[in-house]
Parts: sequence; structure tokens; C-alpha cells
Amino acid sequence: MAFDAWDGEDESAAGRFVPLYVLVNGRTSPRDSRLDLATQVVALPVDTRLLDPEYLRIVDRCGNWISVAEIGAYLQLPLTIAKVMVDVLVEQGYLGVGSPAQRKIVDRHLLDSVLAGLERL
Amino acid sequence: MERTSVKIVVAGGFGTGKTTLVGSVSEIPPLTTEEVLTEASVGVDDTTGVEGKTHTTVALDFGRITISPDVVLYLFGTPGQDRFWFIWDELAQGAVGAIVLVDTRRLESSFPAVDYFERRGVPFVAAVNRFFGECAYTEDEIRSALELTPEVPLVWCDARDRGSSKLALIALVRHALGRLSPARA
Repeated sequence: MAFDAWDGEDESAAGRFVPLYVLVNGRTSPRDSRLDLATQVVALPVDTRLLDPEYLRIVDRCGNWISVAEIGAYLQLPLTIAKVMVDVLVEQGYLGVGSPAQRKIVDRHLLDSVLAGLERL
Repeated sequence: MERTSVKIVVAGGFGTGKTTLVGSVSEIPPLTTEEVLTEASVGVDDTTGVEGKTHTTVALDFGRITISPDVVLYLFGTPGQDRFWFIWDELAQGAVGAIVLVDTRRLESSFPAVDYFERRGVPFVAAVNRFFGECAYTEDEIRSALELTPEVPLVWCDARDRGSSKLALIALVRHALGRLSPARA
């Protein structure tokens, strides 16, 4: 319970200076519907000098593959906001995306490797 | 470059040991992420006399297991409150399956989770958490109380124990694999 999202309607202390909805231009869901909370993203080698600090924080976290949920947890962003911000960064070419976790059917090959991995633990 | 993530949902009633199980097998201490919901409060939360929107923060605990350089497994605990079904939908979509933890002192608290995964055809195993001491019920009694169909595996586990939690995960993945077999199609 680190902070409250500001809904623009009350004057209570929001704990941050920029309302979250401004950061995401009012976007409420990612345009890329493959983005799931477990989807992996990674920073691409591009110039980040023009990025807003809130977005740069995310890109800086993505030196190695990381999930949208981890970004939300580490940067204390509500999941929906994290997802939309990641979506914006993917769209603008700052982040690359791995395979979505939302495959309709998890294939046998993948399950076999998960099973083998668990047995090795 | 391909990097794949897979999800397993850890469900069960309030206080059944979901976060404990996630923490016992995760390679990182469980992380918490939050979803902020805007919802009509009437008749849901007791904010008598207060009309309109309320913000509710729902916490999700999760852990990670690196399976290989290309595959990472995430374990997501469901929120304690049963009413946030749409979050369950997001967690369950595309998941390998679910572990439904069962507290033998309150069998009924795990029934909504059983019902949820049953209805959606998500593979799941029931894991009876031994943490709560001697179990007064037989496997048959638990199966019947939770209305488990015969093909749903029931395992006994201690969510605090890494090896035990790992076995519950293995039981789930085997079950999910079994359901993929052409014989069932």
C-alpha cells in the first residue's frame, strides 16, 4: 500500500507530483493485447535521452529480461499503469517483447521443459 | 531473441498459505504488485452513505523460477478477496494451471477456487497444506467436500517446505501435460 493513484478529483496527498493518468496520456489499456503481467521485456540499444524520467526509470530496469509485474513491483506502479507504460515504450521502440504468456494452449514442448526445470530444482 | 514466460496460479481461500508456498520455491523473495481498482462501492464495501467511486488496492504476491535461459516461470498468488474475479481471469489466462491450496480447518474456503478453475477448464491440483497439523479428514472426504472430479490430483504438502511445494508444482505440470494428450481430444 505504498501510494494511492490520484483520480484527479480529490485533494488528498497523492505522494507523487504527476498524476498517473497524465503519464500514460489517458490510455487505460495497452494497445498490444499480448501484454500480460508475466510478459518479458528488455531494453533495446537506443538513445533514451528524450525519454521522460518516469519512462526512463522503466527502461533502466530492463537491462535484463524482466516481467511487467516485476517492473510494477520494483517501481511501485499499479499493474495497469505499468502495463500501459511498457506498451508505450514497446510501441516507440525502446523495449523488445518476449513471447507472450497468454498463449491459448501451452504447448507440450514448453510444458516438458518446465517439468524438467522443476525436477532439477 | 525469444524469451518465454509461463504462469502458474496459486489459489485457495484466505490464509491457506499461498504466499508461503510462493516464497518457499521462488528464487527471489516474493514481490508484491498492486492493482488499483475503481469500482462502485454500493453494496460491496461497507461505506454506508458514501456514494460513487472508491479506490481499492488489490495486492498480488508473486515469485519467479528460472527454468532455463529462455523460460521463466512465474507463480502468482490470487488476491485474498474472492470478489476480484477479473484479476483471476488475467492470472488464469494462458496459465499452465493452478494449485488450489486447501486448509483442512476450513475446507469450504477453497471451494470458490475449485469452482472457478473447474468452470474455465483450467488444469489444477488440490494441495492440502499440512502446515495446520493432523488432518482429520481422509482424501475421500476432502474430495467430496470440494466436489473434486476424479481426474483432479490431490496432493499433500507443507507450503513452508521447498521440496514439498516443488512436488505440488510438478504434480500440476504432469496433470497439465496429461490433459494435452491426444487420447483426451
